[in-house]
Amino acid sequence: MRTAADLNFGERVVIQDIDSNHPSCIRILEIGFTPGQEIELINKSFFNDPLAFSVRGTLIAIRKEEASCIQIS
Amino acid sequence: MSVNASLKTPLIALVGPPNSGKTTLFNALSGQNYKTVNYPGATVEYSFGKILSRFNLEAQIIDSPGIISLVPNSPDEKVAVDALYSIPNYGTPDIVIATVDASQLSRHLFLVKQLLLSNFRVVIALTMTDILQKKGLHISPESLSKKLGCEVVIVDGRKKDSLDPLINIIETIFKKSENKSIPSVYNRLSDKNDLLEFYSSIERIESEVLSPLAKGELPFNIENANRQLNLIADMKVKENCYKIDETTVKIDKVLLHKIWGLIFFFLIMSVTFTSIFWFAQPLMTLVDELFGMIASEAVVLFGTGWLGDLIANGIINGTGSVLVFVPQIIILFLILGVLEDSGYLARGAMLIDKPLSKIGLNGKSFVPMLSGFACAIPAMLAARTIPNRRERLLTIFIIPLMSCSARLPVYALLIAFLIPPESAWIGGVLLSTIYVGSIAGSVIVAAVINKFKKRIIREEDSSSFILELPAYRKPKPSVVISNTVNSAMIYVKKAGPIILGFSLVLWFLTYFPDVNPEIETEGHTEEEIVQLQSAERLSNSYASELGKIIQPFMTPVGLDWRVGVSLIAAFAAREVFVSSLALIFKVTGDDDSIQESMLRSMRTAKIDGTDQKLFTTATISGLIVFFIFAMQCLSTVAVSKKETGGWRIPLLQVVIFTFTAYVLMFMTVNGLRAIGIN
Repeated sequence: MRTAADLNFGERVVIQDIDSNHPSCIRILEIGFTPGQEIELINKSFFNDPLAFSVRGTLIAIRKEEASCIQIS
Repeated sequence: MSVNASLKTPLIALVGPPNSGKTTLFNALSGQNYKTVNYPGATVEYSFGKILSRFNLEAQIIDSPGIISLVPNSPDEKVAVDALYSIPNYGTPDIVIATVDASQLSRHLFLVKQLLLSNFRVVIALTMTDILQKKGLHISPESLSKKLGCEVVIVDGRKKDSLDPLINIIETIFKKSENKSIPSVYNRLSDKNDLLEFYSSIERIESEVLSPLAKGELPFNIENANRQLNLIADMKVKENCYKIDETTVKIDKVLLHKIWGLIFFFLIMSVTFTSIFWFAQPLMTLVDELFGMIASEAVVLFGTGWLGDLIANGIINGTGSVLVFVPQIIILFLILGVLEDSGYLARGAMLIDKPLSKIGLNGKSFVPMLSGFACAIPAMLAARTIPNRRERLLTIFIIPLMSCSARLPVYALLIAFLIPPESAWIGGVLLSTIYVGSIAGSVIVAAVINKFKKRIIREEDSSSFILELPAYRKPKPSVVISNTVNSAMIYVKKAGPIILGFSLVLWFLTYFPDVNPEIETEGHTEEEIVQLQSAERLSNSYASELGKIIQPFMTPVGLDWRVGVSLIAAFAAREVFVSSLALIFKVTGDDDSIQESMLRSMRTAKIDGTDQKLFTTATISGLIVFFIFAMQCLSTVAVSKKETGGWRIPLLQVVIFTFTAYVLMFMTVNGLRAIGIN
């Protein structure tokens, strides 16, 4: 299963599901990463972590660890 | 809820997600006329104010930290949400104004719907409609109002007259004098699918209230880009709304770039640091001299007896030692304010999250740690933005290790002793080394504490870093300035009474028992006699009794009770070390600068009762090391107690840091002696 943590720059994908076992699951959903939403990887920090995604018209930075609960295709 | 609540001034609570324009609206409604209050037993701080009189509305308004959901995700958010239901002396607010960024509708309506479902009396203040317009979209407040069943107004906190419709609506609600509704606790949607259903109902509302702007309404530069808007269907609206700010993406290409981003980060940090120290220095000297002047006037006015001494040394110098750091705090918060308001601070936190997470901290620890270099007190207050309790406590724990500005005068004196004046640059290098050392020290301490975290800092919740990177904006000077003034006031109010109180205790300990020592007056100026008297008085004072108790701790590090007294004095506030050394070593302020004559007497001082030199390269180096690590600021201890909600963390800080400082001082002094440096 590919997750948002594996995204390449400029790749626009639609979220398929959010792993409900992840401790940040609810917060990830609440902040706007919901299935059906289009996301794009916009920036990576110097250490390749955290990652900044465009979602619902804003930029949200999350750790790779959290991005790995966002399942895409 | 008390029965007579209806007789009180109505209370409006401002609620909204971070970056929704909440604080701008709060400032516009209440002006400068607000105070920050701490809830009893809680670390969350609220701004509490009255609606400006020109709005003709008798009401109180309260601003709370931004939340994205009524379901708290961290202890801090829990307090923020709980308090919304029960504000001390008010109970529940009469009206909740929810700020909603019109260009972030789906995300921000999430909280609004929760508020409505919980029975709060909600009025939506739609902000940032100009950004929505730039995206080629129009929002219908009427339609949104119908769909949600609450009042909706467009506001622009930056334009004063745009607030009138909001005020009118609030007034109408108050006049209706309907019974105050009692909000119910919002229960977390237990199921992911319920949450998604909740979201899609919001999305439906979003697509119904947004519509593309007609061609004539389009801002000129957008017109071409959106030529096909005529064909737009629902999907297109969504696509436009969810487009991110292109300028922001362009700027981020540089500021979050792998290499350039890091270079800019260090550049911005260096400028910040340099400004804190260099721009503040002349102002600090000014404050210092001003209080020195007032103190000597006071001596003239009240005489050299105990009263004059109390007023001059206890009260005036005590006040001075509080206010002397205000310039640094103001400069730091001005810079932080500009960085925050422009949107950069979130990027800084993102850049540094990874390395900090390795030692149990969080990208959000970055701002508090940075503030710690000016003063630990506002820094500890800034740590409230860290959602994870353990990471917040660990951040607060290591903040005293950031070499705050109070240590500068101490370092300056000790370095001047070690370095010959003709090679001042070595002093600069040494000072930088001290700063790097303090950062390295804090990293090591954080890493060690992190290893033992289960025993030292309990209550572990999962670490996360979820941070919105707001679009870059031009900072608004009035917002930055009012926040800066507010932060400086918090410092003065929190640290002021403690430093002043301790300064009085210290004065008492060094002044009493009030003996009038016999001294050789021949060949001395009047000023010198006063100095000699106070030195003699000190060696008979209660403080010296204390100093003699700790003599056994001073001998192993090559020092004697006189330095011990200064170190005890420095526990109130570090910079007191210099002035108490000056007292003890009979410094007479003649034509030389005080530092010159102090250095001279330090060079000749012998350990009490022996022929050994008291201050050597070894012992001075030891003292520097001691000052890097020791927890010597009572105001910090007090604030640490307040912010962590107990004595556990502050006591651990005092014990661990002071013990570490002493051990390292011992190792430095004896290590240097062992290799022949004395």
